[in-house]
Amino acid sequence: MNADPAAPPPQKPARTPEQTLRHLFLTLFLRGRSARGLQKSGVPQSVGKKLAWTLILYAAIGCIALVFRHQPVFALSLYLHGMTLMFLGMFVAASAGEVLFNQQEADILLHRPVAPRALLWAKIAVLVQISLWLAGAFNLAGLFAGISAANGGWLYPPVHALSTVLEALFCTGSVVLMYQLCLRWFGRERLDGLMTTAQVLLAITVVAGGQIVPRMMGQFGDLSRLATDSWWLPLLPPAWFAGLDDALAGSGHGSSWLLAAVGLAVTGTILWLAFGKLANDYVAGLQAIGETSPAAPAARARRCWVGRLTAVPPLSWWLHDSVSRASFQLTVAYLLRDRDMKLRIYPGIAPMLVMPFIMLLQGHGMNGRQGGQGMGGFGIAFAGAYLGLIPMLALSMIQYSQHWQAADLFRAAPLASPGALYHGARRAVLLCLVLPLVAVFGLLAWLLGGGAGTNLLLLLPGLILVPLYALIPGLGGRAIPLSQSTESAKSAGRGLRMIWVMLSSFAVAGIASWFWSIGWFWPFLLVETLVVAGLYALLRHWVNTTRWPSME
Amino acid sequence: MISVQNLTKMFGSQAAVDGLSFEIPAGQIVGFLGPNGAGKSTTLKMLTGMIEPTSGSATVAGCDLRTQVIEVKRRVGFVPESGAVFESLTGLEYLEMVAALYGIPQAAALARIRQFIAFFDLSFATLTDKLLGAYSKGMRRKVVITAALLHNPPVVFFDEPLDGLDANAAVGFKTLIQTLAREGRTIVYSSHILDVVERVCDRVIIIDKGKLLLDGRPETLVAQHQSGTLEHLFTSLTGGAELEQRAADFAKTFRA
Repeated sequence: MNADPAAPPPQKPARTPEQTLRHLFLTLFLRGRSARGLQKSGVPQSVGKKLAWTLILYAAIGCIALVFRHQPVFALSLYLHGMTLMFLGMFVAASAGEVLFNQQEADILLHRPVAPRALLWAKIAVLVQISLWLAGAFNLAGLFAGISAANGGWLYPPVHALSTVLEALFCTGSVVLMYQLCLRWFGRERLDGLMTTAQVLLAITVVAGGQIVPRMMGQFGDLSRLATDSWWLPLLPPAWFAGLDDALAGSGHGSSWLLAAVGLAVTGTILWLAFGKLANDYVAGLQAIGETSPAAPAARARRCWVGRLTAVPPLSWWLHDSVSRASFQLTVAYLLRDRDMKLRIYPGIAPMLVMPFIMLLQGHGMNGRQGGQGMGGFGIAFAGAYLGLIPMLALSMIQYSQHWQAADLFRAAPLASPGALYHGARRAVLLCLVLPLVAVFGLLAWLLGGGAGTNLLLLLPGLILVPLYALIPGLGGRAIPLSQSTESAKSAGRGLRMIWVMLSSFAVAGIASWFWSIGWFWPFLLVETLVVAGLYALLRHWVNTTRWPSME
Repeated sequence: MISVQNLTKMFGSQAAVDGLSFEIPAGQIVGFLGPNGAGKSTTLKMLTGMIEPTSGSATVAGCDLRTQVIEVKRRVGFVPESGAVFESLTGLEYLEMVAALYGIPQAAALARIRQFIAFFDLSFATLTDKLLGAYSKGMRRKVVITAALLHNPPVVFFDEPLDGLDANAAVGFKTLIQTLAREGRTIVYSSHILDVVERVCDRVIIIDKGKLLLDGRPETLVAQHQSGTLEHLFTSLTGGAELEQRAADFAKTFRA
């Protein structure tokens, strides 16, 4: 019998408010909140597809764990939990502020018949859910590696899955707790600034830790010597969860049980505080977030400082063009004040600094105080050349902002080319980011060289390249400050240019150290300076004469 | 002051603006109307030099839009519909930045800014101490309007300028544009608030699907079409005639 065509289709049962909120926050999170800035063709067609690619990427990176397949369970788990904590820490630190405290969201949702506590739970559920997906993908290969580990077996996959879930809860709970404590102790007025600083520090710590810890583990050589009863292990959260793996599916040592107990106790306490005890503070914070924040007294002082700086020589000479000066001040203001900008720039630059830092230390280690011979000289020269990547990376990131629509102002202004705007941003980056870094690296190189100038000289060939590299993002009328939506940053292809620049830095460092070793350093430096000056003039002319790229 | 001949803008195969032609003399306030997606914002962006026309020609304040686009930009002010500002700047920093983009010396800019904030009843302390992100929508809109007028342009384009302004500020703004027009400036005013357009504008241009539908004085057009008000005329021209029926159908869904 055919169904009556006039009959209404069977209705699906309505979602509960909690399910609706979870679905809403998950969709918003995966699509990005600035999707209005995208062209129609750029809007993600399938949330599932986007997520699938991310998970595949994480799973691919996780395959590195197979290197540890014949190591003891504790060493494998320490690596897996260390890297998982880094990835999750980065993800949750970068996402939690936007997910938990969104002003527009308060306008949209707070007048609905939804309890604020339900909002908190829905958001936490989404953070935990995505954390678990990412952690699951990253640890997939590690589960199999654990089966063939030195003291592993078939019990390893379920035990490691359990410890990974605990780690995801620990990570999410810690960040949520940090927000709630900031709210409780410092109030709404200072919440934004504190959260920004805390997120930046957290992101820098986890990224730097993620770079340094594997190298520290590498220092052990034979990882079977990595003992679970080392005094410093209870200080490292990944060791707690690795201890749980080792206690249940590895050696079963008493010290592993102790580490596992510490992990369970700390995670339990954090979850109780974050999601139970302090939940009411979140409710108050969410209600206050929509209120107009009071005047920011610090803003005035900073403005005076930047304004005064650009009004006196040498900056007034350097920024004699009014458009460049305006763009310089805009960029400095965003580098100092804008939460979204700070959360992208500083954690983005931090891992880039780890490499030249290590090269500098390794260069010194090989170099001793003999004066830059061989690989030691190369390491120091490479550290200098690597710094050239910092302005490139920073300028590429400064073009993205949540306030990108305001940059229509630049197009409406009587400017034939975006070149002057780019130069202002470039100079801000060189002055505020690169110069302090060069000073720090210079000081470090000088100290490591025992006060002699050898190391400083070896940094020079790389530093000469910095102004040249800083022009590259502006070629073709690109990298206009704050002119692109933050969503488009996710799809931006900067990788190829960075790889080319990295390779050229490598080449320059190699050639410089070779010329140093044969005693021809000064002629090389002269030729390099002349070549760079020529290229600089050429690229600068190119940037200055480039017309506005199409808005369509 | 503004002369537009067969102005066309294609996005792919779709014509956002399709052969638009009109003339606006100096000192006139023109309401530029159309339903959503009619091509108003695209036309304004072309006339301010922000996007390039696909075909056709236009002169703004005596400058050709194709060959003298920088001169056009120097002579126009624009209040975009988004009202977006750089929220991590203070109001004063934002306005000083705009002044710098137009090459206005700092002292002159500051003097003009003080005049505008007095007109809009803003305090200078607010302008210097608060980041724009902490401003109300109305205050932000006042800053954007000030930014558009700071370089004293002879032609000003307003896209929904009253959005967010309180009643007093809105009345003040209407008086301001009438004063500007009396001084010889050309004002192009795009808005969906038709009763304001009817009261303020000397003339209206109505477009739909990128094409010109009507052009004339509001009272003349209303009389010619026997519409009673500009709002009725607009809805009858742009497919809103059956709105009452639609509203009735909508209300029925709550009774079911």
